[in-house]
Amino acid sequence: MIGKLKEAASTLSNPYLKKWKEAGKAVIGYPCTFVPEEIIHAAGMLPYRLRGVGTTSLSIGDTYFGPVICSFPKCVLQLAGQESYRFLDGVIITNGCDSMRRLDECWRKAEEDIAGILPGYFRYFGVPHKTASYSFDWFEQEIRELIRSIEEHFGLQITDSALRKSIRLYNSSRRLLQRIDELRSGPEVRISGQDALAVVLAGSSMPRERYTSILEGLVKSLESAPGRAEGKNRLMLVGSASDDLDFIRLIEDSGAIVVADTLCFGARSYSDLTDEKDDPVSALSRRYLSNSLCPRMFGYYRNRLSHILDKAKKARVDGVILQNIRFCDLHGSENGIFERDLERRGIPCMRMEREYGPLVETGRIRMRLDAFMERIS
Amino acid sequence: MKRETREYNYDWMMWTIVENAAAAFDGSRKEYETLLRFIPNFRDSLDAIVRQGEPGVLLIKLMAKYLRNCINAPRQGKKTALTTFCFAPPVLYAFDVVPVVLEPMTVMGTFILQRGTAEYLDYCCEAGFTETSCSSQRGALGAYLAGLAVRPDFIICDSPGICDTNANSYSFASAYLGIPFYQLNYPSTLTGSRATDYHRQDFRGLVAFLEEQTGTALDIERFRQVIAEMRKQSVLISEFNELQRIVPSPVPGIFNLFLYSGNFLMGGTEDFTSLLESMLKTVRQNAAQGRAGTLSGRERARGFFSYIDHYTTDLRFWSFLERHDISHLGCILSTFWQENAPYSGDRPDSVYRVKDADLDDMIDSLALQVSRMPMVKSIRGPYDAPDMWLDDTLTMTRLLRTDFVAYFGTIGCRNTWGMVKPYARDLEREGMPTLILYADAFDDRVQSWEAVIDRIQEFLALRRIGAGRTA
Repeated sequence: MIGKLKEAASTLSNPYLKKWKEAGKAVIGYPCTFVPEEIIHAAGMLPYRLRGVGTTSLSIGDTYFGPVICSFPKCVLQLAGQESYRFLDGVIITNGCDSMRRLDECWRKAEEDIAGILPGYFRYFGVPHKTASYSFDWFEQEIRELIRSIEEHFGLQITDSALRKSIRLYNSSRRLLQRIDELRSGPEVRISGQDALAVVLAGSSMPRERYTSILEGLVKSLESAPGRAEGKNRLMLVGSASDDLDFIRLIEDSGAIVVADTLCFGARSYSDLTDEKDDPVSALSRRYLSNSLCPRMFGYYRNRLSHILDKAKKARVDGVILQNIRFCDLHGSENGIFERDLERRGIPCMRMEREYGPLVETGRIRMRLDAFMERIS
Repeated sequence: MKRETREYNYDWMMWTIVENAAAAFDGSRKEYETLLRFIPNFRDSLDAIVRQGEPGVLLIKLMAKYLRNCINAPRQGKKTALTTFCFAPPVLYAFDVVPVVLEPMTVMGTFILQRGTAEYLDYCCEAGFTETSCSSQRGALGAYLAGLAVRPDFIICDSPGICDTNANSYSFASAYLGIPFYQLNYPSTLTGSRATDYHRQDFRGLVAFLEEQTGTALDIERFRQVIAEMRKQSVLISEFNELQRIVPSPVPGIFNLFLYSGNFLMGGTEDFTSLLESMLKTVRQNAAQGRAGTLSGRERARGFFSYIDHYTTDLRFWSFLERHDISHLGCILSTFWQENAPYSGDRPDSVYRVKDADLDDMIDSLALQVSRMPMVKSIRGPYDAPDMWLDDTLTMTRLLRTDFVAYFGTIGCRNTWGMVKPYARDLEREGMPTLILYADAFDDRVQSWEAVIDRIQEFLALRRIGAGRTA
């Protein structure tokens, strides 16, 4: 079961996606967890989280982006420029961070040189950086405009009842992911960190109905799975976008097991649910904007610290890896204060800056991991 | 951080140096020349400012007063707000709060201190910052994090939605120092009722925050005085911008620095009004004589610096332009989008207007002013959208008849580095020679000023800009 999900997590175009496209159905890409997937799902389309899987060069990414920009959006642009994202019918860009939001211009400008790489539907979706009442109102309006634009472009209607159905479906899969989290962070550790990340990643690129049914089976099988924690250091992974299974494998090969995370590709994407009783758009605006676990939400450091402390306690971690992609100052700098505040509480930390994408720094990272293991063992 | 660096507070060091420099102008020429012997690290910078005559002296006095206010705030029972250059300070002056503006404080360090701000920049990294974070805040912030300056009471920043690295510096400082934080958060559009309503509501939230932090309600009379001063200043700034259009430009390049540093530090005060009036006196005289604002009075080329300027040791950027007869026609920092600004043209929604009929009007005026501040206005949305960076740059280059555009930034500027290449290409397509400089405007260690000069000169030569031209 995990094999199927791992396959879906390791490639851009997985068998589920191919089947979806063969059925003539549309796929909408989005780069960040602040885009409500339920909207796309309720439109009968597949929400697909953009990634840089399999990038081997940045020749296109570097042409449009400047030199001191995070390699994640560069990898996405590279793949778009190589026409690897041809299967996308639309893309929603958001201001998750400054590097990410400039994917908007860079992708559009790349289209001037490489015709046909820009999907027919291409929209900028603004997300406030605070949770004041007027920010929620603004965000709700932004979601309504997003709905309207999808309806207009694709000639369809996104009804309240479809939205409610999507919200229920996404909530049910998030509950299952939360259950897997419990099995992962409990004393026995029923699933490795690498597999746990693969499970979440797969969900961002395959039909949610199918995904949810796979999760149901997976939860059942994991409940009786053997423990994996014995003799291993229990670690938590915090920081920038990380969807590289090999990175987690490298950590786990060093004598550790990743029992918890706060990654946007990981636990952050299912840590809370949408209110099923309220007006669906209003409920989505509250669920997505209230998620202040990303440092793009300025001024909410205390919330994030207490979230990490809470998770670290529940998962009984021996240490925390605070990683960031180079030039991701939001995570990178906040990791600095996390390090101070976690170490003060007796939780050993390791800060690590790295590049997004295929592990080109394996040797350096392994050496640092070995040193950290030695410290906490 | 070296032990000797910890011997004196950063803000106190700046203040003693600038205060003494300012006092020297009240004495004789001989006294001033004697003083120069005692400030070997500051004398070239001081000279670059003072050789502009009265406006230079007024700028030094304004800086001295500003720094004195910062140092004395706790003793005088005033609150201090750590804030950013792109936040307009009049609302703080209306509350009698002293703004501690990090970026100008960094600039002062780069041109006053022997070793610039390197140790303070690096201290931020010791405290947890990434080394790629923006140097414009880190230069001075290192001192505040190290406890080598007056401890701010709270933080206000208006860069969320505009510049992540800027906002991140302030939210970091808030978490690190454990002090309250208020953010003005901007949507990616500038005009339209949705954006305007958001600006207003957010600004009212700020007023409530200031009332809570200071424990005082807004003093309407004081507010009215600040607004009246702002109105005068917006008229004077518009005239300044109008005079820059003349060929040759009668505006000494360094006046752009005077203009925006004065506004960032003391916008809404009489001191800034006096500085503007004095600058305009000089510029009007130059214009009447058909003289350029360069050292020779001639103009070889007209440049627009589309983002920020270069501030490292001894203000050599400004001296370089002056010596080479290159008119500096402004940068993003010198455009405030006040009513009647010549560049506002047919975009009346892009500007702010100063109204004072009632309190609501006044608060709205300030909300609009802040939303039009440098950077806040132009890089909040896609660079090629109406009212944004490309649109604004092209407006300026056409209006000012520039020969070239140059981009300086910092290594921390994700937002502009994310789009500057296609932006430059679009400018070139519009026929505007554009140079991207890979230096850091606040940190010479990234690229030396000498290397920067080489690149600028190479660019001017290769593109034959100003070749054989003098006006």
